[in-house]
Amino acid sequence: MPAFRAARPGAAARMSRKQLRFGAFFSVPSCHPTGWRHPDAVPEADLGFRHLVHMAKTAERGKLDALFFQDSVAVVGSSVSHGRAPFNPRNGRQVHIEPMTVIAGLAAVTERVGLISTCTTTYNEPYNVARRFLTIDHISGGRAGWNLVTSQAEDEAMNFGLDAHVEHGARYERAAEFHDVVRGLWDSWEDDAFLRDKASGQWFDPTKMHILRHEGEHFRVRGPLNVSRSPQGRPVVAQAGSSAVGMALAARTADMVFTAQPTIAEGQAFCRTMRELAAAHGRPADDLRIFPGLMPIVGRTMAEAEDKYEALRALVDDETGLRGVARLAGGLDLSQFDPDGPLPPLPPSNAARARQDMIVAMGQRGMSIREIGRVLGMSQAHRVLYGTPQTMADDMQAWLEAGACDGFNLLFAHYPAPLEEFVDLVVPELQRRGIFRTEYEGATLRANLGVPVPENMHA
Amino acid sequence: MPEPGRPDRMMKLGAFLSTPGNHLAGWRHPDAVTTTDMDFKAHARMAHAAEAARFDTIFFQDTAAVNGSEAMARGDTSRSKLSRTVKLEPTALLAALAAITTRIGVIATMTTTYNEPYNVARRFASIDHLSEGRAGWNLVTSQIEDEAQNFGFDAHMAHGDRYARAAEFYDVVVGLWDSWEADGLLRDKASGVYMDRDKVHFLDHVGTNFRVRGPLNVARTPQGRPVVAQAGSSEAGRELAARTADVVFTAQTQLAPAQAFYADLRARTVRHGRLADDIKIMPGITPVLGPTMAAAQAHYEQLQALMPDDVALQSLSHISGGLDLRQFPLDGPLPELPPSNAAKARQELVVRTARERNMTLREIARHTAAGTGHRVLVGTPDYVAEQLALWLRSDAADGFNVICNYYHKPFEDFCALVVPRLQEMAVFRREYEGRTLRENLGLRVPENRYTAARQAD
Repeated sequence: MPAFRAARPGAAARMSRKQLRFGAFFSVPSCHPTGWRHPDAVPEADLGFRHLVHMAKTAERGKLDALFFQDSVAVVGSSVSHGRAPFNPRNGRQVHIEPMTVIAGLAAVTERVGLISTCTTTYNEPYNVARRFLTIDHISGGRAGWNLVTSQAEDEAMNFGLDAHVEHGARYERAAEFHDVVRGLWDSWEDDAFLRDKASGQWFDPTKMHILRHEGEHFRVRGPLNVSRSPQGRPVVAQAGSSAVGMALAARTADMVFTAQPTIAEGQAFCRTMRELAAAHGRPADDLRIFPGLMPIVGRTMAEAEDKYEALRALVDDETGLRGVARLAGGLDLSQFDPDGPLPPLPPSNAARARQDMIVAMGQRGMSIREIGRVLGMSQAHRVLYGTPQTMADDMQAWLEAGACDGFNLLFAHYPAPLEEFVDLVVPELQRRGIFRTEYEGATLRANLGVPVPENMHA
Repeated sequence: MPEPGRPDRMMKLGAFLSTPGNHLAGWRHPDAVTTTDMDFKAHARMAHAAEAARFDTIFFQDTAAVNGSEAMARGDTSRSKLSRTVKLEPTALLAALAAITTRIGVIATMTTTYNEPYNVARRFASIDHLSEGRAGWNLVTSQIEDEAQNFGFDAHMAHGDRYARAAEFYDVVVGLWDSWEADGLLRDKASGVYMDRDKVHFLDHVGTNFRVRGPLNVARTPQGRPVVAQAGSSEAGRELAARTADVVFTAQTQLAPAQAFYADLRARTVRHGRLADDIKIMPGITPVLGPTMAAAQAHYEQLQALMPDDVALQSLSHISGGLDLRQFPLDGPLPELPPSNAAKARQELVVRTARERNMTLREIARHTAAGTGHRVLVGTPDYVAEQLALWLRSDAADGFNVICNYYHKPFEDFCALVVPRLQEMAVFRREYEGRTLRENLGLRVPENRYTAARQAD
């Protein structure tokens, strides 16, 4: 629309404004656990790679920073626990293509969008994880990211020879050491280590190869890694822990933090604390990008947006929501409590501690168990925002300018329509306002996120 | 002699992509591209060439260490002339290559010694979905001592323990692959029911090495199960392969032993209650081509001249049973080797070759370095094609894994010059038979154990 184009701020003004950044969060077949039933939803996105290719290309068309794939190493809800039979046949999130495999595949068919996959430190070996992410970084030309998690699902333990999930504190100790081993392995080779000199027959310069020789509490790893250094220095590290230990680990190690924050005030407080913690590790404030989750529901008019929101609310399934609450109940069997009554005091959760704090806060605001379940059952407790492109842009701009976020990780109620609508309707409005890029800044994920390229620690 | 009833057998071809080249000095050849090891686009070019030539599959070996890193950690810098140092991790590479191809199979190696079965089952099932039925897992127990110290161990697990773990690992993986029956996902929007609770199954495996409950969080794959390949040629390796493998990769350099191996493995397979044709046996071959026999020989000698003796000697390091061969005179015989805990069958092959041909240490080292123990076929395209057809017709092989000394030229020459000869001889396909790797290899789709039990009721 030419009339708007004239009002658009000049390039210089755009450059100087704070910019939003976006991850597209993927929890197939729908972030809304029963959103797969929506008439527009394509539930085959769970295992159908071609659907994921379409969505990756859509996100890239919208200049989003990265795709962000969640993971768990179990069919969630497969335990007989919390007073409920195994499996929830209504929840769509039963099976999915393993996300490191997905991002490796997507690396081959995309050019610019970042590719972030979750991988747990609890049920893997650091050498294998270091190798795989660095390989994907090479395949993608520097667009890979690792979302480091310690696993939330109790169900996973029994797939790895354990009777119960590793205790929260021990998991984070292992995670911290795991991260350090991975980072050390990523620096095994200096950028110019490989000579490939046909004349002399010298393949590499042994002085530029570094053997880690890590000996710690949880791991002994000699190295070196059998992958050369990353095109972006190191793959990006993301983290989603918002508990105290999770935040401490992120402050020291993460480039990107994914969090659930319901209000601007809480987002500001979280950002402030995260940046203070990072500063204590000698990291500049700009080293860390903070992305609250957000489920956008876009309408061309407010009435259309409201209709869409109501349609998605109507798909919320109480049983699925109550199972979500049960998983966070710290082992307390909630089936003995009236779902329309208040949330009882909960023993501490060994799974997702920050997430448990969030439902406790909802209970303190007077929400019943069922009502809390409905929030979990729609957006995994992330903020839901419905509106027109203009009102949504207003909201996101307010968060950005208040210092409550660096951007958002977008949770789509189903695929692919809500992602397409965000790209086609909201992105142009943000670009018009000069708070979102019209072209990718660089070829790597680090360049687009605007986080520094780390120096080789051994160099 | 062709077995009665199998006169028109077509050969299978795998492209064993060993970048930057399998010959230890191949990368120094004037035509070699030296950056193929870490370059995805180079791998994409190879995969497209193999698919255009109608290869059944591409194949990647693997080790979870820099070769020779144990020695390097002790200060030995001589390994810096060895080219196969860094690489793209093959399961990630497989996913990326599957995304840009449509018909060719994609097989990667993954060790049972330094992984968890749930993770491995998941990854290959995922690649099978991503590729719409073209994935294969080459099960190995790891040959390289260097790996142990990357995983908290002081030394490599003993050969027998590794195979016991591998056998149980395989059972867990295959059990997890059966977690979901073919119609386990309903995705019924009207009723709101996503999955059929009765069609998903707990494995509840409790064994010596693993306890794994399941179910896998990937549904049954497009080809029923990914293809399983194996490369073990020792007694323990043969028994495991006969029970479990769809494809066997092996190093065979002479016709008679290759025929004996072929017959033995097929007989063992039948003893495990399977059909002999349920297993496809594919020795490795390295073509060294030239327009004339003399030109091909000159090509081979050019490569050998690029290889220093100390580099050649390192090709024996992983089968030397821990003995440092540098202390022995190069013009003397291959010394007696202590038993290898790494690659038993490969050690036997090397020792037998050296003894039979009365080779010096230098000669056997250079011979091994040229083909990493695989058969090197030096000659014209016609000669190479005839040799492959001869082995097929002599029941020494079902097909071949083609390994090249450097990239891209030798592989592209094989596709352009040898493959058309094989097609003219009617021993290799002109078009893919099917959409999945199982269909192209002529393998049956395995039944889901729970579906079979239900139908038997």
